[in-house]
Amino acid sequence: MDRREFLKASAITGASATLAGCGHPEHQLIRFIPEEELVPGVATWKPSICPLCPAGCGLLVRVMEGDAEVVRNGQIGLIKMGLAKKLEGNPAHPISQGKLCVRGQAAIQITYHPDRLRHPLKRTGPRGAGAFQEVTWDQAIDELASKVGALAEANNQGALAFWMRPSRGQRRELVAQFLHRFGAPPPFSFELFGEDVLRRANALSFGREQLPTFDLARTRYVISFGADFLGTWNSPVSQNIGYGLMRQGRPGQRAKLVQLEPRMSQTGANADEWLPIRPGTEGVLALGLAHVILNGRMRSADAAGRAGTLVDGWMNGLPDFTLPHVETLTGIAAARVERIARELAESAPAVAIIGGAPLAQTNGLFHALAVNALNALVGSVETPGGVFFTPIPNASSKPDAAGERERRRQSAAPTLDKLAAGILSAERPPIQILLLDEANPVFAAPPAWRVKDALQKIPFIASFGNFLDETSILADLILPDHSFLESWVDDVPEAGTTMAVASVAPPVMKALHQTRAMPDVLLDVARRLPRLNPPLPWQTFEQMLRASFEALPARAAPQTTPGVQPAVDVWSKAQEQGGWWAETPAGTRPPPNVATRDPGRPVSFVAARFDGETNEYPFHFLPYASQAFLDGSLAHLPWLQELPDVVTTAMWSSWAEINPKTAERLQIAQGNVVEIASRHGSLRAPVLLSPGIAPDVIAMPVGQGHEHYTRYATGRGANPISLLAPIVEEETGALAWAATRVRVSRVVGADLQLILFAGALRERPHEHEGR
Amino acid sequence: MAVDLDRCTGCEACVTACHAENNIPTVGDTQAARGRALHWMRVERYWEGEFPDVRLKFRPVMCQQCDAAPCEPVCPTYAAHHTDEGLNAQVYNRCIGTRYCANACPYNVRFFNFFNPSWDKPLHLQLNPDVSVREVGVMEKCTFCVQRIKAAEVQAKAEDRSLKDGELKPACAQACPATALVFGDLNDPESEVSRLSRSPRGTKLLDDQGTQPKVTYLQRQSSE
Ligand code: SF4
Ligand code: SF4
Ligand code: SF4
Repeated sequence: MDRREFLKASAITGASATLAGCGHPEHQLIRFIPEEELVPGVATWKPSICPLCPAGCGLLVRVMEGDAEVVRNGQIGLIKMGLAKKLEGNPAHPISQGKLCVRGQAAIQITYHPDRLRHPLKRTGPRGAGAFQEVTWDQAIDELASKVGALAEANNQGALAFWMRPSRGQRRELVAQFLHRFGAPPPFSFELFGEDVLRRANALSFGREQLPTFDLARTRYVISFGADFLGTWNSPVSQNIGYGLMRQGRPGQRAKLVQLEPRMSQTGANADEWLPIRPGTEGVLALGLAHVILNGRMRSADAAGRAGTLVDGWMNGLPDFTLPHVETLTGIAAARVERIARELAESAPAVAIIGGAPLAQTNGLFHALAVNALNALVGSVETPGGVFFTPIPNASSKPDAAGERERRRQSAAPTLDKLAAGILSAERPPIQILLLDEANPVFAAPPAWRVKDALQKIPFIASFGNFLDETSILADLILPDHSFLESWVDDVPEAGTTMAVASVAPPVMKALHQTRAMPDVLLDVARRLPRLNPPLPWQTFEQMLRASFEALPARAAPQTTPGVQPAVDVWSKAQEQGGWWAETPAGTRPPPNVATRDPGRPVSFVAARFDGETNEYPFHFLPYASQAFLDGSLAHLPWLQELPDVVTTAMWSSWAEINPKTAERLQIAQGNVVEIASRHGSLRAPVLLSPGIAPDVIAMPVGQGHEHYTRYATGRGANPISLLAPIVEEETGALAWAATRVRVSRVVGADLQLILFAGALRERPHEHEGR
Repeated sequence: MAVDLDRCTGCEACVTACHAENNIPTVGDTQAARGRALHWMRVERYWEGEFPDVRLKFRPVMCQQCDAAPCEPVCPTYAAHHTDEGLNAQVYNRCIGTRYCANACPYNVRFFNFFNPSWDKPLHLQLNPDVSVREVGVMEKCTFCVQRIKAAEVQAKAEDRSLKDGELKPACAQACPATALVFGDLNDPESEVSRLSRSPRGTKLLDDQGTQPKVTYLQRQSSE
């Protein structure tokens, strides 16, 4: 059959399926079609949720029949089954609105990854050597249950720990309830690019301990302090949608974007004005702007309410932030600061955004509180064109809300550095059993925290993750999870919409391998523990999800998708369209989700501290979330490895960005290999000359440099985290990942290659220039 | 197609969406270093100025579907040809790999298969059955997702109606979160793409080459 005939043939099947009366087969949401109902060549679309970042975009998955090679009971066979073919955004979903980011498009490669763990494994060789043998699910679950049971026998329940990626749905709630009933501490998360500083600031300023949502579509002016909100930060898809609208969505009205950052990010590239601010002084600039606005009587100090009172000197017009002083500290000319302040005050609605590196300084909380006060001053909090906080639906499943308890305990939870130090210093580690769910702190933590050494001391580690990485390779037992497309998934987005959203979706396809869903494995383990008190009330994760969604108010029953029979209840509707969501009635503000604590004395500017003396380590080191891999957790996907990074066009490799003038001074040329060294480590990478970086800054994307992470990422490039100093934000204890200083020297004779898409054989950029 | 450069953020969702839709293989580091990576859709970037007054501009580039396509007359086998609908099509079965067309195309959007594509199993299960996989020696490029165009046409015909504007999108435009990519019927003066193509911000890429590209780029604006 040639291509034309093939097209014709599939066209005919497509047409007859249509005539059979199901309307729009291309875009239908059907819950779980029995496989035999799949028509060869005709696609069905099912909802799911992108698991790659905390944004939680709703997906539609194109499912078609195909032949998959599977192993069942030791036999290889070919079965016809529904296979996911492509991911698109779910048009009905309030976050993704039918769109996805570059990473979400590639998420499908997780399910079909050749190096996925396909069955339970038990360690045979020494820890970390990667030698495992296959065991049955019964053996694996028995072993886990007996180890956990033994802890309870010994009355040592507190020595069970569960480390997972941050999430907010019922999956985490299940883990929390399990741990709570068992008597163990709540689940723990550590992320390199964690957002604790911003959450804390928002709790203090606005009583909302969560990430913000920006109404870009209706704003007229955006000033962003280091936030790569169009690339990798917060809720990129919804922010890109809003950006398109703020530029060209309203005839004759185009909002302005000002970006402040020492290295031009993808977002910075889109700015109308890009200002390389001195690292660690972002809040000074925000207060400089507020100073101009206050002293020019463009707004009054009490307009900022509580957020203003948190800043020292606010009510007196911020006398410490005069323009000359701001210029000296930030490196931004006084005249410019003044002009931007006036634009900001005159362009209502305007909004200020802070994210990324400024918060990862030792004085990060100050910057966030300063920007919050600026937003409050210009009247952009919870007003159109400003900053909002997504209402969180009360989807917490009965009978008791471990989540709430957990949240309270979490605020007093130890940080990873303290946990590791506690294990290393104790004769008998305070953690005897560690359960891992995709968390990879060995890769993501600075070497000085010695996380790997600490894990080596834990007597028993079990991992649920899909892949072997730097952390899970230390496991004694591996109970691999289904991929997200093979499981029940749920999520409660923290930001990105003004609607209350709880996403949920049934499995899109059958499991390819002999994996089991982590929540169901946990429930299985729980059933085997006699001492779980009270026992968990659900037999399956599906039951738990159902209970939580049935508890949601039906009044917010979402509008139905055209062509789909209206479903009868909240639960069926939610499954059908990929979640539950409800508009907040106009004019109502969601209530604060934290008690507004007394902040004590107001904050004032204290200069950021950096690790390393300026004369010995002359450069600021800026690791940044890469467009392809974020924090490195996506480096295993080949589409993302071969994605030309949009700012540099680099693929499959690591690189270090240096200002051309600096490079000239150091006699370094593009592609030369350099050694970058901090007080805590060194690495080698090829140099990429970038006009968009300050002369005293060296930047590197995070993501490569994995020791163990599938055939595509292992041994590729260098990990910038390995240079980071164990220095923290002083108020929150969060890692200050932008506070390390480095030195750079050329290495002759090293053969590390810079792989660029542009400038290689194909592209001749000069031909397009100037058109 | 119209590309609004004032909306495009360089997020590259379009790039991966194209890989997923059109069975574009990855080639790995060694071949990528030799300039053999295949990206029917790419986002070009241009630096202007010097630090600190630098600008970085993005431009998504795919086959411009030229009306006077220089890639067509040079093909000895009529593999590169014009369809009745005005698409520049590539018949893979006819292509004998002279690569004349790639030389003739001023936009560098044609990609040659230097070897047979491979997918480490079971990555091949993701392949889109509506799109043929190209073999060694064959030239390939953006098709405007002809398989999606066909499917939408068939659907509309089965329902005895004409296609609605915006009903059908190539994978890149479907993915684009900022709605920078707008696809539609240029023969319909009322369509969104026609409206955008008449914009005073509209330009064509390498207009002076006489290729008569069907893609209009709407220039980025400035607030200063
Ligand atoms: S922003 Fe991208 S990676 Fe994050 S959830 Fe959405 S599609 Fe997935
Ligand atoms: S852009 Fe290149 S490949 Fe496309 S029609 Fe024009 S000349 Fe041919
Ligand atoms: S998806 Fe849209 S916004 Fe993103 S790079 Fe492509 S054209 Fe630009």
